[in-house]
Amino acid sequence: MLKSSHELVNWSEFRERLLRAGVAPRHVRRYIKELADHLADLRTEEEREGRSPADTESAALMGLGSMDDLARAMTDRREFQSWCAQAPWAMFGLAPILFLGGAWCIALLILWSGWNIFLPGGDTPFVPIDGFAVFYFGVGRLLYFVAPVLVGWEIGLLAARQRLKALWPAVGLVLIAVMGGTAQLHASRTAVPTGLGHISMDFAVGPSVHGSLFHALVIFSVAALPYFIWKFQKARFFSA
Amino acid sequence: MQYLEPLCIIKFMSGRETNPNFMNGVPELLILRLLQQEEMYGYEIVQAIRSRTDAVIAVGEGVVYPVLHGLERDGALKSRRKTVNGRSRIYYSVTRAGSRRLADLSKDWSNLTGAIQKMLMGGQHAQVIA
Repeated sequence: MLKSSHELVNWSEFRERLLRAGVAPRHVRRYIKELADHLADLRTEEEREGRSPADTESAALMGLGSMDDLARAMTDRREFQSWCAQAPWAMFGLAPILFLGGAWCIALLILWSGWNIFLPGGDTPFVPIDGFAVFYFGVGRLLYFVAPVLVGWEIGLLAARQRLKALWPAVGLVLIAVMGGTAQLHASRTAVPTGLGHISMDFAVGPSVHGSLFHALVIFSVAALPYFIWKFQKARFFSA
Repeated sequence: MQYLEPLCIIKFMSGRETNPNFMNGVPELLILRLLQQEEMYGYEIVQAIRSRTDAVIAVGEGVVYPVLHGLERDGALKSRRKTVNGRSRIYYSVTRAGSRRLADLSKDWSNLTGAIQKMLMGGQHAQVIA
């Protein structure tokens, strides 16, 4: 009885090898699909020639090429490398900052517009509110507080998909946590009575150092948890 | 052409591997030529190269896919999924840019083979004179 393509070749191991070498997941997926199909075609051809199952399998595997050659054909070509492998500093250092900055800009825009819509003339938007304003400001608040965690999860997902070592994802996660832990919002109204409110943001440790550190630690833990669970499970799977 | 260099993906059927630098662009040329006539999937391409070159040239079977993917990435090929006999296949065909590339490659290759042929004939001529 002929073995299936997956019994004949350890595609999971091959996939891991390509991903660890930096080949982009979409290229890996497609390459393996085409190789598995090709192997099936080779076996059909060999069977048609009346070979025994053992001969069929070995001839098909030989025809396809060695796993080393197949892997090298992909890993030697830089154009198939993912951004995570080519420029990890950009993917885990720069991109998270830009995404977090973008999300916070949207959150601040919601806060500023809500202030002008629901609290015209108010000295600050940080006052008790009711009605639709609760929902409106709530969206902005949610985005502001959840953005670091979402960006952190995205970092973990990218790192997991590419089977990256923990160094670069950890750099990204620490950056995000520090930004989230030290970000401070300020709102003030200009001296002109009809003037618009002014919202600004900066990064500072304080008023309580412990508070900032704790906040950063919470963000890091929540954002990094899925990635480290995945790493732990993967390590257990391969050691089993 | 650069991405065809690292692998000796072409072998003469005698089993002797060719100099990879010398064979630069050959798999690309053969693939583009085949696909200009009709769309094919990977296995068909490999078999067609073997049969149409009378098995003189055999492309390394599995490693043909990175070449196809590279050509597609460069815009010389396009692909589409098609289900045939219950199996989903990725069929490749040549784009306009691919046709232009094929024309350039064919011209380069014709010049090269012409020059080599001339050298070989010249060599024979020299022997006769000697």
